[in-house]
Amino acid sequence: MIARSSSWTRGFVPCGTVYKENSVSPARCLVRSFLSPLPSKPCYRRAADSPAMPTVSVKWQKEVFPGIEIDTNQPPVVFKTQLYTLTGVPPERQKIMVKGGILKDDADWSTLGVKDGQKLMMIGTADEIVKAPEKGPVFVEDLPEEEQAAALGHSAGLYNLGNTCYMNSTLQCLHSVPELKSALLSYSDNVRGNGVDQASHSLTVATRNTFGELDQSVRPVAPLHFLQMLRKKYPQFAQQQNNVYMQQDAEECWTQLIYTLSQTLASEASEPSATQMKELFGIDLVSRVHCAESGEVSSEAESVYSLKCHISHEVNHLHEGLKHGLKTELEKVSPTLGRTAIYTRESRINELPRYLTVQFVRFFWKRESNQKAKILRKVDYPLELDVYDFCSDELKQKLQAPRQVLRDAENAKFGLKVQGKTSSSKDEGSSSSAGESSSMDIDKADSSLPKKQLTGIYDLIAVLTHKGRSADSGHYVGWVKQDDGKWIEFDDDNPSIRKEEEILKLSGGGDWHMAYICLYKARTI
Amino acid sequence: MSPPENPNGGAAAAPSEPAQPPKPSSSSTSKGKGKKDEKKDDDLSEEDLALKEQLELYVVRAQDTDPGVQKLALESMRQEIRSATSSMTSVPKPLKFLRPHYGTLKSYFESMQEPELKKYMADILSVLALTMAVEGERESLKYRLLGSEGDIGSWGHEYVRNLAGEIAQEFQKRQGDEMPIDALMELVQQIASFHMKHNAEPEAVDLLMEVEDLDLLVEHVDSTNYKRACLYLTSSFKYLPGPDDALALDIAYTIYMKFRDLTNALRIALLLDNKSAQYVKQVYTATDDLSLKKQFSYIIARHGLAMEIDDEIAADENDKEILQEIVNNSKLSEGYLTLARDIEVMEAKSPEDIYKVHLIDGRGASSSLDSARQNLAATFVNAFVNAGFGQDKLMTAPSDSSSSGSSGNWLFKNKEHGKASAAASLGMILLWDTDSGLAQLDKYLHSNDTHVVAGALLGIGVVSCGVKNECDPALAILLEYINKDDPNIRIGAILGLGIAYAGSQKDELRVQLSMVLGEPQATLEVLVFTAVALGLVFVGSCNEEIAQSIIFFLMERSEAELAEPIIRLLPVALGLLFLGKQENVEATAEVAKTFDEKIRKYCDVTLMSLAYAGTGNVLKVQKLLGICSQHLEKGETHQGPAVLGIALIAMSEELGAEMAVRSLERLLQYGEQNIRRAVPLALGILCISNPKVNVMDTLSRLSHDADADVSMAAIISLGLIGAGTNNARIAGMLRNLSSYYYKEAAHLFCVRIAQGLVHLGKGLLTLSPYHSDRFLLSPMALGGIVTVLHACLDMKSTILGKYHYILYIIVLAMQPRMLLTVDEDLKPLPVPVRVGQAVDVVGQAGRPKTITGFQTHTTPVLLAAGERAELATEKYLPLTSTLEGFVILRKNPEYHEE
Repeated sequence: MIARSSSWTRGFVPCGTVYKENSVSPARCLVRSFLSPLPSKPCYRRAADSPAMPTVSVKWQKEVFPGIEIDTNQPPVVFKTQLYTLTGVPPERQKIMVKGGILKDDADWSTLGVKDGQKLMMIGTADEIVKAPEKGPVFVEDLPEEEQAAALGHSAGLYNLGNTCYMNSTLQCLHSVPELKSALLSYSDNVRGNGVDQASHSLTVATRNTFGELDQSVRPVAPLHFLQMLRKKYPQFAQQQNNVYMQQDAEECWTQLIYTLSQTLASEASEPSATQMKELFGIDLVSRVHCAESGEVSSEAESVYSLKCHISHEVNHLHEGLKHGLKTELEKVSPTLGRTAIYTRESRINELPRYLTVQFVRFFWKRESNQKAKILRKVDYPLELDVYDFCSDELKQKLQAPRQVLRDAENAKFGLKVQGKTSSSKDEGSSSSAGESSSMDIDKADSSLPKKQLTGIYDLIAVLTHKGRSADSGHYVGWVKQDDGKWIEFDDDNPSIRKEEEILKLSGGGDWHMAYICLYKARTI
Repeated sequence: MSPPENPNGGAAAAPSEPAQPPKPSSSSTSKGKGKKDEKKDDDLSEEDLALKEQLELYVVRAQDTDPGVQKLALESMRQEIRSATSSMTSVPKPLKFLRPHYGTLKSYFESMQEPELKKYMADILSVLALTMAVEGERESLKYRLLGSEGDIGSWGHEYVRNLAGEIAQEFQKRQGDEMPIDALMELVQQIASFHMKHNAEPEAVDLLMEVEDLDLLVEHVDSTNYKRACLYLTSSFKYLPGPDDALALDIAYTIYMKFRDLTNALRIALLLDNKSAQYVKQVYTATDDLSLKKQFSYIIARHGLAMEIDDEIAADENDKEILQEIVNNSKLSEGYLTLARDIEVMEAKSPEDIYKVHLIDGRGASSSLDSARQNLAATFVNAFVNAGFGQDKLMTAPSDSSSSGSSGNWLFKNKEHGKASAAASLGMILLWDTDSGLAQLDKYLHSNDTHVVAGALLGIGVVSCGVKNECDPALAILLEYINKDDPNIRIGAILGLGIAYAGSQKDELRVQLSMVLGEPQATLEVLVFTAVALGLVFVGSCNEEIAQSIIFFLMERSEAELAEPIIRLLPVALGLLFLGKQENVEATAEVAKTFDEKIRKYCDVTLMSLAYAGTGNVLKVQKLLGICSQHLEKGETHQGPAVLGIALIAMSEELGAEMAVRSLERLLQYGEQNIRRAVPLALGILCISNPKVNVMDTLSRLSHDADADVSMAAIISLGLIGAGTNNARIAGMLRNLSSYYYKEAAHLFCVRIAQGLVHLGKGLLTLSPYHSDRFLLSPMALGGIVTVLHACLDMKSTILGKYHYILYIIVLAMQPRMLLTVDEDLKPLPVPVRVGQAVDVVGQAGRPKTITGFQTHTTPVLLAAGERAELATEKYLPLTSTLEGFVILRKNPEYHEE
């Protein structure tokens, strides 16, 4: 029950055992022999012989050194040296408690009234003195605001300026695209490309500035200027009802913003950035228009910025919705039949973007209530989206090789880990050289092929959700994945951390937030 | 149906409607109570009818002219009455049948001449008056005094109680009219002895209190009833006014001494603080039993009384040393660690073990960068959780060998003054273990960082808190530093002295610290902390000299200085000197009225609330409630201390505490913001280390309050009420709060502190200043709590600012909540004990069970708030009746192994 029952018994530890094993040095042994006769003889008798030499016991930490003689003719330093030999505590660090405080080196023994058999207490250690580390830690509180923002792990929120959550959520989602940010950064204030009107130019500048503010601040940002520019360029967003700006459709905002940016950034003089927006968000579709009646077949090509996910009764999953969205029926005048006929139009993706925007077509115009009504149906969407099935054969061909590489890499990560390890540990020298050469290969490849290859596999990075029953009412919120894998819900000026499971719960089927636009990032090799 | 018994003894006169006795089976029971008398005659059984006629005959005979016949009639009547008074639940039949004749007999009595017969008649009338007399007339007493002073008990219990009630009234009247009371007192004697013989100690005590002659009690108690009588006295003293309470305790002390129940006598001696020293010595000298003296010493050590064991107490040098060691608390650390080992909680816990981030979804895991504030919080959590265990995962290196190991690292993960708290946390971790504590702190004294040195000095104070040593190492070391130049070092040393020597009233400290207080060039914060240290060292001493110097200091402050937030600790320091001393504060309070008006009211309220802390004085509670109901002009802050004061005063007994909780609820609804901010803290004091569910819910609600100060105070208070309990519900609440407030640095800091408090000493400690069955209040503990909470009234500029080390003052209230049984050689002795919810047995006859819902454990065990333990074996006898802390067991000589 009691581990150290002996400690309950009062009494002194026998003198011979008090020495720490590790503290016996030659010098100490010498003094020990000088002291050794003392404990063996009864102390009081000796003291009685010479009253000038009182014998005391000294308590140090949990140890007691009995029978130490004090030569009162010598200064206390001598006594301290005696203790030094016993404890290893240097005299200058010894604190010995006597009457009236700590024993001073120049004190006079006679005034201290040390009595024979008295117990003294000594405090002090031979431990190394704690020193501050060379380089102290950096504290979050000391950092300038921008860096604090970086330490926070996510960027700031945006103030709601009166029914502007549609805009805030759009901005937050787009803000998660680093390539867009860098493209905007290189956009200069004064150069205005051909065919770009002033309003578009200012909107682009405003976007750039807002993104910059978001990155640098810990406190929520008020996107006043951006809103102003947005309304200037697209007056529909300045629509008012009862003298209050109305809620708007986030999808419209998103589309218009992307469109404007693609205009302005493309017009930017330098060649490589001309197609930047297209590369980032643009999707090339080839459509085969087929008329069952006449057997006419024609093909069209178009470029869009988002895939639509149509929601019907049989759609339960994004994949089905996309398939549905790519296959439409339309009525048009058939030149062969000379009347309107029903054509089916099947689209295939011919070129993939770096960032795939998927819009859930949740709103339709309800004539009777005169508003955009909402489909509440639950449509699940994956964290990892594979669009291979929707690609044209040509593109499929192109994707084959990179997909294989990706699959191999994944296999290596999971199943075949052991093999890789053993082979690498076999001969480090060769593998490192191989690594060098391979990295050189990559460098070469990079120089020849500046783009990374797409695989048709996409990861979810941002979700724009809507809560409410119609597009022009309710609340929009942006959910953005961070670099460290955490999700942040940007509810206007109030960002909060979310878990991945919560993101997948935004699939609809109730009155909770449901995904309206999903932004996927391509997995490249 | 029988009439309900009048619980008020005889205070009430007879019911106007004669009650019906239980009817014999022969009579018809269908007829109700409301019958008229003549009709009732028909319902009577033959037997009753005969009795009635018989009695009527006696009445007629009693008025006979022949004295012989008269006497015979009276004798017979008396006989009938006496033989019938045995029933307690109904009006005896003879009394009922004599009812109509009361008037006749009364008028006849006036005309009677023969003194002896007249006395006889008076006796009968006195009994009849029990049911007949008009209320307030006290006829029963009147006739009793005229009657033949016979054995009072022969007329039955009910009669005596009635009489006692009338005596009390009569006594008041006679005192008012200055009439002689000798005759009454004779009767009182009789009644008191009757009550004491018949298991009615509370009635006897009540009567004696009414007639203001409690001394009589000592004559009447015997070994069978003294315990109940004393229990009644000691639990009722809290409700008595003025000098009566001390008198009641004095009597209880005398009785305990008379029956040689010395440990209980000692407890009362400790409570009677003005006579403490004298009585404690009496208790010691009343016995030669060394083991018993050791037990006394344990009780004194728990109470924290600084006492010198002299030759009178123990003649033998060895015994003296042993007793002094116990009083010095030198073995507290060892006992605590024994408990910890037995419960198997020795392994150090890191702050992360307490935060339990994995139970909160996603949040809380902050960035890779160190946050100074969060590290500081971790420092405190680490100190609180590992308090007294001597090991932890941040400050003490695993092997103690490398000084540049983890301890150095963690220390410097704190910023500036944070380093002071980090160094001082070592003192908390090594709490009570002065030997290794001082050794480990020593190396920090040589640091060249002033904050580290300051922290180490504070740590020296913390480590020696409540533990005395004849060499006084803390004093010797700390005094070296109090006059250094650096203000941080000075504060560390001064506050360290205050904590280490709280309640010791060391004169040397008075001299030294008063000198500091007189320094004109010292910074304000140094001076304020000097005052606080003085207040702690001389807590409850009523030391006028120190009071003067603090008052002078306060008076000399400039307007600007008075606006400093730290200044609010000065009235507290002043109040500490008078903690619980009631009227003694008045002179100082008068002087305080002359202060600058900025601080005048604040000072006034603080002084009053501290002086009456722990007294349960209802009048003062009402006064403070009155202050809280005022609507203030801007800028006044004295309502905060008033709210705290309500809690401080009301915490002394359960009923008052419950009422205060309800009053505070009201303040919460109707009070203004500065009141609402103090309410959570007040709730925290009322239920400290006693997580009552209703209070927990209130605080949980407030912890989400829109006002940041209210919510922070509520969070801290959640920690206070759960301090040292490991309460899972509070721990859960705090975890949720930590994710709720993960972005608010200040709130999060409070949540962390609260989490540390809940797991204080891994759940082995308590902050409750009450001990010995909630009977004794340790003034040091209360002083510590009060100081910390007053600082919490303005959290932003104290605990959340750079004075976070104030939190270490709470160490004064930290005590193990254990029962550790030891044998007569003070070695731990495991025995089975029953631990259960305490039952209030005050005023109950016989030997009622004192605990309920108990479980049997083997010592050492933990005792939660409101729990009591009793020995589950006959093999040993405890030397004290209250099983708490260290209890010495002695072999039962009458025990035989089966």
